[in-house]
Amino acid sequence: MAETRTIVALPITPRLGAVMRLRLFLILGVLIMWEATAASGLLFRDVVPSSVTVVRALVRLLIDPDFWGNFGVTAGEVLAALAIGATAGLAAGLLLGASRFLGRAYEPYLNSLAPTPKIIFFPVMIMAFGVYAGSKVAMGALSAFFPVALSTAGGMREVDAALVKVGRSFRLSTWQMVTKIYLPAIRVPVLNGMRLGFGVAVIGVLLAETKLSNQGLGYLVMQAYARFDMPQMYAILLVVFAVAVALNAGLGRLTEPRHRRT
Amino acid sequence: MSDPTVVPWPRPVSAARPESVLTVDDILVRFQTRDASVTAVDRMTFDVRHGEFISVIGPSGCGKSTLFNVIGGLITPTSGLVTVAGEPIRGPHPAIGMVFQEESTFPWRTVLDNVAFPLEVRGVSRRVRLEKARDVVAMVGLTGFEGHYPSELSGGMRQRVSIARTLASEPKILLMDEPFAALDEQTRLLLGDKVLQIQQTLKQTTLLITHSITEAVQLSDRVVVMSYRPGRLKRIVDIDLPHPRTSEIMTSDAFGHYVAEIWGDLRDEASRGMAEAEASRGART
Ligand SMILES: Nc1ncnc2c1ncn2[C@@H]1O[C@H](COP(=O)(O)OP(=O)(O)OP(=O)(O)O)[C@@H](O)[C@H]1O
Ligand SMILES: [Mg+2]
Repeated sequence: MAETRTIVALPITPRLGAVMRLRLFLILGVLIMWEATAASGLLFRDVVPSSVTVVRALVRLLIDPDFWGNFGVTAGEVLAALAIGATAGLAAGLLLGASRFLGRAYEPYLNSLAPTPKIIFFPVMIMAFGVYAGSKVAMGALSAFFPVALSTAGGMREVDAALVKVGRSFRLSTWQMVTKIYLPAIRVPVLNGMRLGFGVAVIGVLLAETKLSNQGLGYLVMQAYARFDMPQMYAILLVVFAVAVALNAGLGRLTEPRHRRT
Repeated sequence: MSDPTVVPWPRPVSAARPESVLTVDDILVRFQTRDASVTAVDRMTFDVRHGEFISVIGPSGCGKSTLFNVIGGLITPTSGLVTVAGEPIRGPHPAIGMVFQEESTFPWRTVLDNVAFPLEVRGVSRRVRLEKARDVVAMVGLTGFEGHYPSELSGGMRQRVSIARTLASEPKILLMDEPFAALDEQTRLLLGDKVLQIQQTLKQTTLLITHSITEAVQLSDRVVVMSYRPGRLKRIVDIDLPHPRTSEIMTSDAFGHYVAEIWGDLRDEASRGMAEAEASRGART
């Protein structure tokens, strides 16, 4: 039947140069196509503005204190959402993963709710948490909950049984079992869940802001759209994109395997 | 069936044998699987004396690890008792330290933090526990690797970390389940010497589970021989070889005599095991 396949781990570093070049090549290609489309005038007015205009709008945006106020609002909402959603998800995942019985009972719910677009719960959230930041945080938290809960529960089942036996033989308390064995053992799946959770929390918060709000980046985007200020809209999107990429990379570094301290 | 009177070792009576720190009294373990019940350990009885090195040997699958887990308090036996200093155990006992057959170092901790683990969970201060851990790391010959993570060590070094971690908890009774099984012959011999040397220095009461006859004879004061399924006590052999011993003793006549004796006991059991395995393979195809 299936024969054993040897997976050879190739060193990554020597190839990084080529990979980077390929990536930059793609970005360059997109930029060229973008400029060509903008110059051609084929599309309605400012739908694809020249990148020069976008950069100018970006600079204007970055020196505007009003923008930073809205940025702060959204950032605060996302962080609060991630804190609440990830904590709840971690707790739920630990319980579901620790008890085969609870896991069998409730994980089907999680699995079917996870891919549901959370925006359909927005009206409920508005009624429960008001039209201001509360409902946005709730949307983000709800979105972040599922990936964290699912990957925590999955991680719990993968914990090496031998390590659990070691903990029991040293007579650890339940609290010590969780903090000294389970949590470190599931660090990588939990952090991966948080990465996904962070992504969907941003989506949840921004989406909610575009629907109903009077502050935040989602609100600014809709304002720019209403004024048909496309360069500003793209500028805001660029900022959101840059922040998301940076934070994702930061979280990714935490999941790297441990090496010797030097 | 398993009449304990055929065993040349008298049944332990705690009051009559004050020097025995651990007794295994009529232990029976039966596993209930979906369509059958498997008797893994069948009425094992023996005792371990203070400061002694005792080995339990038997063919693969005879119930050694099961017995190990029962003594360590991780499995509740179907019937029978394990007592430590006369007290029946319920769950893991503070006097017992276990080294497992499987790889069991914490990959997220350095060698030093792995070894300091049992002290850490007991609330020993950082300075004291690291100092103590450093001593034990030196004892197993890993000085210089304190800051390394297990993934940066060889299998034999990781096994030494596991042993050191359990030693750091200063157990009155050290239990080890085939700690050298995954190692090559040379490393196994050197590590055996090391363990014996530590055991002699600390006067550490030690119970070693093994399936290597030479290992059992080289290290032990007594060898408990188990039969193939169901795991029963076949015989207890006293090893009267002088201390200090190193792997060099393996060339002596007396050593060869003991090995031959135990092999004589085990050969029937091992071949019975092979025959059973072949029969069940034949039945399936
Ligand atoms: N949890 C379990 N459920 C059902 N059967 C089990 C269980 N654990 C062990 N057994 C059975 O009990 C018997 C003894 O297993 P055990 O692991 O104690 O053997 P062992 O002597 O340690 O073998 P080895 O030398 O290969 O490690 C085996 O037949 C095994 O299939
Ligand atoms: Mg075993």
